[in-house]
Amino acid sequence: MDRRRFLKVLGVTGGGAAAVTACGIGPEPTEQLVPYLVPPENQVPGIATYYATTCRECAAGCGLHAKVREGRVIKLEGNPESPINQGRLCARGQAALQGLYNPDRVTDPMARGANGDWQKLSWDDALARLQTKVREARGKGIAFVTGLESGSFGELVDAWTRQVGGRHVTYEPFAFEALRAGNRIAFGTSAIPWYDFANARYIVSFGADFMETWLSPVGYQNAFTRAHAFTAGRDASMAKFVYVGPRLALTGMSADEWIAAAPGTEGMLALAMAQVIVARRLAPLPLDVARVRAALDANAPERVAARVGIEADVITRLAREFAASRGGLAVAGGIAAQYPNGAEIVAAVNILNYVAGQVGKTVKFGPNHALTAGGSFQELTDLAADASAGKVALLLVHGANPAHSLPAAFSQALARAGYKVAFSSYLDETAAASDLVLPDLHPLEQWNDSQPRTGVYALQQPVMQPVFPNTLHAGDVLLRLGGKPGTFKDYLQGRWQELHRRYGRGRSFEEFWDDALQHGGLYADVPAQAVRLGLDVIRAPALAGDKPVLGWQPSPDQPLLLVCPSIALHDGRGANKPWLQELPDPVSKITWHGWVEVHPETAAKWQVANGDVLLLRSPHGALRAPVWITPGVRPDVLAIPTGQGHKAYGRYAKDRSFNAFELLSDAPTGYGGRAFAVSVAVTKTGDHRRLATLEGDAREQGRGVIEVLPLTRAQQLKRGAHPFEERATPPYADRALAEWAEAQHEDASLGDYARPHPRWGMAIDLTKCTGCSACVTACYAENNLATVGEELVVRRRQMSWLRIERYYTGAETGRPVGAVVTPMLCQQCGNAPCEPVCPVYAAYHTADGLNGQVYNRCVGTRYCANNCPYKVRYFNWYNYAEPGGEWESWPDPLNMLLNPDVTVREKGVMEKCTFCVQRIRGAQNRARLEDRNIRDGDITPSCAQACPSEAIVFGDLRDPTSRVAALARDPRGYHVLAGLNTQPAITYLAKVVHGAVVEG
Amino acid sequence: MADTAPARVTYDFVTRAIARTLGNPGKGYFALLAAAVALLAVGIVCLLFLLRYGLGLAGYSHPVYWAVYITCFVFWVGIAHSGTLISAILFLFRSGWRTAVYRTAEAMTVFAVMTAGLFPLIHIGRQWYFYWLIPYPNERGLWPNFKSPLIWDEFAIGTYFTVSTVFLIMGLIPDIAAVRDLATGWRKKLYAITAVGWRGTNEQWRHYTRGYLYLAALATPLVLSVHSVVSWDFAMALVPGWHATLFAPYFVAGAIYSGVAMVITLLVPIRKLFHLEELITVHHFENLAKLCLLTGMIVSMSYFTENFTAWFGGNPHERAAFWYRAFGPFWWASWTMNICNGLLPWLLWSKKVRTSVIALFVVSIFVNIGMWFERFVIIVVSLAGEPFERFANATYNPTWADWGIMAGSFGWFFMWFLLFVKNFPAVSISEVKEVLPAPKRAKAVAT
Repeated sequence: MDRRRFLKVLGVTGGGAAAVTACGIGPEPTEQLVPYLVPPENQVPGIATYYATTCRECAAGCGLHAKVREGRVIKLEGNPESPINQGRLCARGQAALQGLYNPDRVTDPMARGANGDWQKLSWDDALARLQTKVREARGKGIAFVTGLESGSFGELVDAWTRQVGGRHVTYEPFAFEALRAGNRIAFGTSAIPWYDFANARYIVSFGADFMETWLSPVGYQNAFTRAHAFTAGRDASMAKFVYVGPRLALTGMSADEWIAAAPGTEGMLALAMAQVIVARRLAPLPLDVARVRAALDANAPERVAARVGIEADVITRLAREFAASRGGLAVAGGIAAQYPNGAEIVAAVNILNYVAGQVGKTVKFGPNHALTAGGSFQELTDLAADASAGKVALLLVHGANPAHSLPAAFSQALARAGYKVAFSSYLDETAAASDLVLPDLHPLEQWNDSQPRTGVYALQQPVMQPVFPNTLHAGDVLLRLGGKPGTFKDYLQGRWQELHRRYGRGRSFEEFWDDALQHGGLYADVPAQAVRLGLDVIRAPALAGDKPVLGWQPSPDQPLLLVCPSIALHDGRGANKPWLQELPDPVSKITWHGWVEVHPETAAKWQVANGDVLLLRSPHGALRAPVWITPGVRPDVLAIPTGQGHKAYGRYAKDRSFNAFELLSDAPTGYGGRAFAVSVAVTKTGDHRRLATLEGDAREQGRGVIEVLPLTRAQQLKRGAHPFEERATPPYADRALAEWAEAQHEDASLGDYARPHPRWGMAIDLTKCTGCSACVTACYAENNLATVGEELVVRRRQMSWLRIERYYTGAETGRPVGAVVTPMLCQQCGNAPCEPVCPVYAAYHTADGLNGQVYNRCVGTRYCANNCPYKVRYFNWYNYAEPGGEWESWPDPLNMLLNPDVTVREKGVMEKCTFCVQRIRGAQNRARLEDRNIRDGDITPSCAQACPSEAIVFGDLRDPTSRVAALARDPRGYHVLAGLNTQPAITYLAKVVHGAVVEG
Repeated sequence: MADTAPARVTYDFVTRAIARTLGNPGKGYFALLAAAVALLAVGIVCLLFLLRYGLGLAGYSHPVYWAVYITCFVFWVGIAHSGTLISAILFLFRSGWRTAVYRTAEAMTVFAVMTAGLFPLIHIGRQWYFYWLIPYPNERGLWPNFKSPLIWDEFAIGTYFTVSTVFLIMGLIPDIAAVRDLATGWRKKLYAITAVGWRGTNEQWRHYTRGYLYLAALATPLVLSVHSVVSWDFAMALVPGWHATLFAPYFVAGAIYSGVAMVITLLVPIRKLFHLEELITVHHFENLAKLCLLTGMIVSMSYFTENFTAWFGGNPHERAAFWYRAFGPFWWASWTMNICNGLLPWLLWSKKVRTSVIALFVVSIFVNIGMWFERFVIIVVSLAGEPFERFANATYNPTWADWGIMAGSFGWFFMWFLLFVKNFPAVSISEVKEVLPAPKRAKAVAT
């Protein structure tokens, strides 16, 4: 607090009522709504327009529906027609909006002045400068670095670089080079296939975090839950999922079994499994298997068990189960594909799929992933070396921030390169070190296309006018630079003429184009191609069991540090989006800061507690990270997330936490990728940092919040059985409540209450829920939830109406360790503890069974929050909407993403999940206009809409034909804290696991 | 009483001794008053910040939604209890010893309720809409929710404040008349008005004593009801550690316990500073100590019962809540409470302690501290420790805004109290005389 603020507040005593209001004490000032003077055509105020486009937040390329109100996009949802994401969307996709409306966007072209400060330029001026620089640089080295561009823009860059004699480097920090190299070793093709999780019966992930950042997380998670969900009466039981890896990441938390193999030996384990299948003829073996038989025998379970750290009979059991399922799918990725022997591990996993006869079934080459054509780390380091040697006269960067992910080498390259141009919307580290910044349009403002998978042509269209009018599509810049006529849209349409010839089916191009735009692109089926073992295949078995780092021995004294991609911030591109910063990491539940994961045994040995800051020193760099103790990591391994530690980029990202990339080697691995594991020396610093976590207790302690059933028991449950009923209320309490409710209903003569009504309810299938937290961000977007910042999260003032609770199961040390997750949101109790205690009826019961919360009536006694046993009510401690205020959540223009259907709450009022009541009322209004009743499925709350695993079902519990009513009767169904007789509207369906249930 | 009064205590002596307390204040008095006003100023500044920026400045967290302010509210309501107990119940029981102490207790009651009543207004999120809790006819057709214990609270506190104020003022009338006759200057005018024409006629005395009796009868149930209702703020909620049928008697006993302790805390310095040793004797203190002992034993019993029920009931939430209380991060708060309220009153079994004013003063201070912590433990520690959902539990760290406003409340209370003792008779003149033995009446001056 400074002197001015002190005096300002104190000055109130001298003033009268006017001064009081002027100083912000008292009700918010009234604002006026001004109608359009000249209303725009084809726009009805209050009615949303939806545009189909494509998400560009990662390489997956999910289809989007952008909801536009009054000319502003306010919500992104998955496009149900897209074969990539089936209408689902992850947290990062949702948060693209905060990139669009980011307050730190570059608004005009800028050039570095003589004294180093930025000077705004006109576009003509900027293009003329660039033109000159291109002319000067011809023949002296021109390089264009882009992110993965699998469509027209990428081709335009290719064409332009060819024209000026330069090179085009595609750089993604997580480019899965090992997958391509491993496939080349095993099958002689560097394509990245499409994995059919939905039809797999037994899934083994060798480190592949396919729900987080691996290839196509939304689509794969959706498909995974189709296989792994429990459906009573289905012939085949749910697929089993085994996770192999040194760290229990989000993907691993869904696993039925966690195999914490020694890091670097994942391939050895895969080969041992393959050996069992081949030696015991557990599957019809392909003819060419003889070529690897000898190598497999060298990796028999008994021989490798000690090095892998897993007993031979466990390996044999896994192999038997894998083969017997007749639908095995082994995938490699994540950290296993980032060791120096990552390619060999991938190849070994391929061999496992191959000998089990699954290649062509669950592993499909043909509909290949876009990253098949992704660049490699090697290409970038080569470029950096050339630039450092002065061989790059002009360096252009678009959609990549190598100065952050390759801090040492690329910064040096930037310093030595001749003239640097950044086509960046933000002043990230790379742009900040450039000479010229040409602000690109945000992907939601631009035309483009991409090919996320062979056969899928995803279109991007501008969903609104540019937020900042003086920004220009990089494609248009290149076209003007190359002297080509027309805009980038014309260029794009020109390319689509080709598709029109192939897929037009007699329609005119306009019809074809409009149709594609409407559906978000063109979706063609590509058949799977057969592959055979390649010539190099013999190389894999020899190296599949290498050390993750040369000379490293598994021991807690010299731990191996794993650098893991952050699900929210990815390689760091999400760091300037407050939604993603405040999204609790699905595993650690920490927000706004990085951490280092330490096993409890190791922590006890080092005598460190949560929040103690450790100094981690690798041969390449050092950083300081606060400890987070978790049983979900091997004792000889530490793990830190990527994404933070920006030196530039914007107000939310800058100078926050540490940059994990600084510890990594700049030298590419043998397969051209990057090693994400490094051996570190650890020193205690004596400092402490309070972690901004949402986690209170990591153990559920038998409170009945999460119920787990073993598969065998779940299968025996008959319709009408209620295994969790013993936790419910005694009959007399139910009777008393029913009588009371009836009396209330009879007494109710006022308005709505007298008529029959729906009872809105929700069913959440915990077997499907993975904890990915897409719903959390969806809720932030739909309901105008404020982000409060690290300091306030430390003090538990987060506003997240929906939180994902993650509890560990199993012993604190030793195995088996697992985790269970559950979404916790307002249960919309039938007998709600929050309602009777509110002195002013701000919390009240609506006729359709919701626990209403009238913000305007709330005086903020907070009694409701105390009395809520689920702790899902959140209080506005400050005014998060005050422009320029200390806790402002939506600095201009972020406020443009506010949903006009939802009130922005004032300081001093309570808020909570409303079941997206604005959507309920919207659907009711639509139904009334169409003179019909609400149909099941008309209403989807934003959490259910986003959920990649379709775990949430919403509907009317009083309609016996609705899906939610059927699920509420499911024998697996239970209510959380049913013993309190709160009669929640949310039915949780118990999590079903293979094997025994481990208590928390 | 009669046999304990020293021989020189006569009607005349009583009037003069008490009227002397209203004489010109010395430096010490002004220093104390300045200290109280300074504390109040601190509280006001903190409150202004709270109003401007929001409750976030206080230490609240999710799920600790009530904390120091509600602790202070219950603490001050509790303090307010002994006043009516001493003036009304003991009056009905014809306990003569009350006469020397009841005025102080009553004044303390009124000011404590005035202090307590501020906290619910301070602690709500939108303080400027506090009047929405009051049932009044309005064009919105909205009434408060009579099911909410907070509304009960409002009625309980409101009634209590009204009745205890009327009771205090009514008891003051004959005394004001007495000092009116001795006063000069502006005070004479003030007392002339506030004495509402009291002349001490038989007719007036007849009405007065009847009226006083009825008011005492009216106030008596309030002693039990007010803190019962306050306790239902907690007992009606389902928070483990709050949800107990024991709460009403437990709170009432605790309130009287803390109230009597506060009376002792206030009386000891008053007696010393105003030289009232002959009027407020050790005998009075011993009786107060006995009251303290009785209620202290009930409080100790309640602690035991609470913990026993939590264990014997077998409810995992209850058990966890009480385990957290005793051994969680707030162990120091619960052990302060246990020692000050559970162990300390045992000292009062000793007559030596009961008859030592110094010892009683020390004990009373610790009882006040203990009782503040009792409310803190019940409110904060229950909310933090076992919010049903293990994932949601969190700790709580009070801030300057909490401490500042709490300090301000002490300043506010003592400011009123200091102003009162210098302007109105802090010991009842008329009632002290009533209990004087008959022979001394010969020297009486008319009152």
